[in-house]
Amino acid sequence: MARHSVTDDTAPLGVIIVGAGFIADHHGAALRGSSRARLAGIVDVDAGRASAAATAAGGVPWSTDLAEALARPDVGAAIVCTPNLTHEPIALQIAAAGKHLLMEKPLTITVPSARAVVEAFDAAGTVVMAAHTHRFYDYARAVNDAIAGGAVGRPVFARLALLGGWIWPDWRAWVLDPAKSGGHALHNGVHLLDLVSWWLRDEPVSVYARGRAQTAAELRIYDYLEMHVRYAGGADAVCEMSRGHRPSTLDRRDVLVAGTDGVLQLPADGWGSTVVTESGTSLLHPQAANGFAVQLDAWLDAIADPAAERAMTPADAVRAVALGVAAELSIERGEPVTLDEVMGGVHA
Amino acid sequence: MSDTTLGVLLLGSAGLGADQDHQSTMYRPAFEAHPGFEVRPDTTRLDDPAVDVVSVCVEPDQRADAVIAALQAGKHVLVDKPLALTAADAAKVAAVAAETGRVCLPAHHQRFHPMIAAARGAVAGGKVGLPWNVQADFLVAGGTPSPAGELANFAVYPLDVVLALTGLRVRRVFARLSTHWGGGDADDFALLFLTHENGLTSTISVGRIRELADTRPAGLAVHRYRVSGSHGVLDIDASRPAVVLRRGEASSQTWHGPGTVDRLLDELRAAIVAGRPSSPSAADAVHVAEIVDAARASAASGAPVDLATDKEGSR
Repeated sequence: MARHSVTDDTAPLGVIIVGAGFIADHHGAALRGSSRARLAGIVDVDAGRASAAATAAGGVPWSTDLAEALARPDVGAAIVCTPNLTHEPIALQIAAAGKHLLMEKPLTITVPSARAVVEAFDAAGTVVMAAHTHRFYDYARAVNDAIAGGAVGRPVFARLALLGGWIWPDWRAWVLDPAKSGGHALHNGVHLLDLVSWWLRDEPVSVYARGRAQTAAELRIYDYLEMHVRYAGGADAVCEMSRGHRPSTLDRRDVLVAGTDGVLQLPADGWGSTVVTESGTSLLHPQAANGFAVQLDAWLDAIADPAAERAMTPADAVRAVALGVAAELSIERGEPVTLDEVMGGVHA
Repeated sequence: MSDTTLGVLLLGSAGLGADQDHQSTMYRPAFEAHPGFEVRPDTTRLDDPAVDVVSVCVEPDQRADAVIAALQAGKHVLVDKPLALTAADAAKVAAVAAETGRVCLPAHHQRFHPMIAAARGAVAGGKVGLPWNVQADFLVAGGTPSPAGELANFAVYPLDVVLALTGLRVRRVFARLSTHWGGGDADDFALLFLTHENGLTSTISVGRIRELADTRPAGLAVHRYRVSGSHGVLDIDASRPAVVLRRGEASSQTWHGPGTVDRLLDELRAAIVAGRPSSPSAADAVHVAEIVDAARASAASGAPVDLATDKEGSR
């Protein structure tokens, strides 16, 4: 990894945030805490939202015109937090402008478009990274470090569950429209599919997924997903992603990895301290590194030294999209779907 | 009859694999310690009136026939798991059990685990609303691998627990079988993805991993269930209740009170005394065997397998 000194001699990289939704706040906070990059502006199709976010960020410039913002010489890169359907055209526009990109997951919602984005950045010679933020959380890194250190031998089975209740707005939320989000497997499922593939260090072969519209029968996405991934080396993973659990305060992170030499667990009841109060039982999360800040640094490292090994490669991002697409397709068909099929026989 | 001592004939001492002998290691000591049972000498004949109960641990491929013979001799039967190697054989046993009205209790004793037994009551009582998903892990550390594979050997336990927790039969099975630890051809790890009545889904990982320092040989390294319902979530950690002992050597656990096999015998005696079918029943074992058969077929084909829905109810 490149050290901070690579960029310390130069002015901080000017970064615009495109799409002023709730996840943009996390990226904005990471930028405020960085000495290597600075928030150079906000772009949103909604002028009111753009100006409000710009004001909240201390009066940075704002625009409803991405091209105008990208044309500014003090803007070197963008963090994009727009609805998933718009990721492809926005990414291609950023590549064409010769800027770097940190794209909120998923990179795009189809495999061909994900490939097109990666090729565009290759051609432009700039960096694209998908924001699979969980890779930069302490828990995920602890699991990865242990596996990398040989703690369980060759990992052959991984379970990862991220379970919670409803956090989305009402029926008008774009996430609930599969045409805009790609479905829950692409919207959130990719977090888990990427993590377990990273942990297992193996190539996914097929996905068998089951989805459930738990909160309401009329939902067109599956707020509960269960996704099984089979790997080329013989390993299996079971991922559960839920926004449909009740009580809605449920906050569950559960990891189990079995390997040829042992077992690794982050038990559900180990994820924080238990607080019992008059209003019920809840979890008090431990202090942890800010995953968004760690992720920002990894992206800035890649920009500073594109030849260095990357924490999250473009191929990883395409693979995550392919896994998400396979999961959605598997739910529709009720059968396993091969990665070969969704990747057209060409693995990234 | 509640005061009557039931005579027990221990029939066979075989299991899945050369050194599996549940008769000697589990059932004999449990019968000997349990009030209300008296183990008869091994030389006692099956049709001896002093025999009320036959504890069957004959070779798995002869087991169904032995159980049928005991039932037809008018005896109640406790039968080691698996009750039969195929669903078809299990169904023959269940038919004879129904015909004779004798108790035929398959030794699915994990459902009597104190954490699980309490959870069954809570779920049945609506504590988490309408259950819609169960996740289960049943990983044994060390011991002798089953030559028949751990799908045949261990999967019965978590399958029975999931069925007992939910009361919902399985309609569809997708499965993966692997060999990671044992070497050889027999599977030592199975992943079962089940779709039940009323749309409930369940996923079970079951297998035999390598031995671990803090788990007794052939002990459970991970044994847990999570039931998600319309109004709540129930986590069952069957490695508890436990007093955890940490010493100079590897840590270990201990607990007091009747074990799962003792509670299984409670059920055997209660069913016989009440003149009712046991729970689990032979019909329950048939359904478990159907799921195991379907899992094998699914693992071979790589596709989900639908179970016939015209079977008789097995609850």
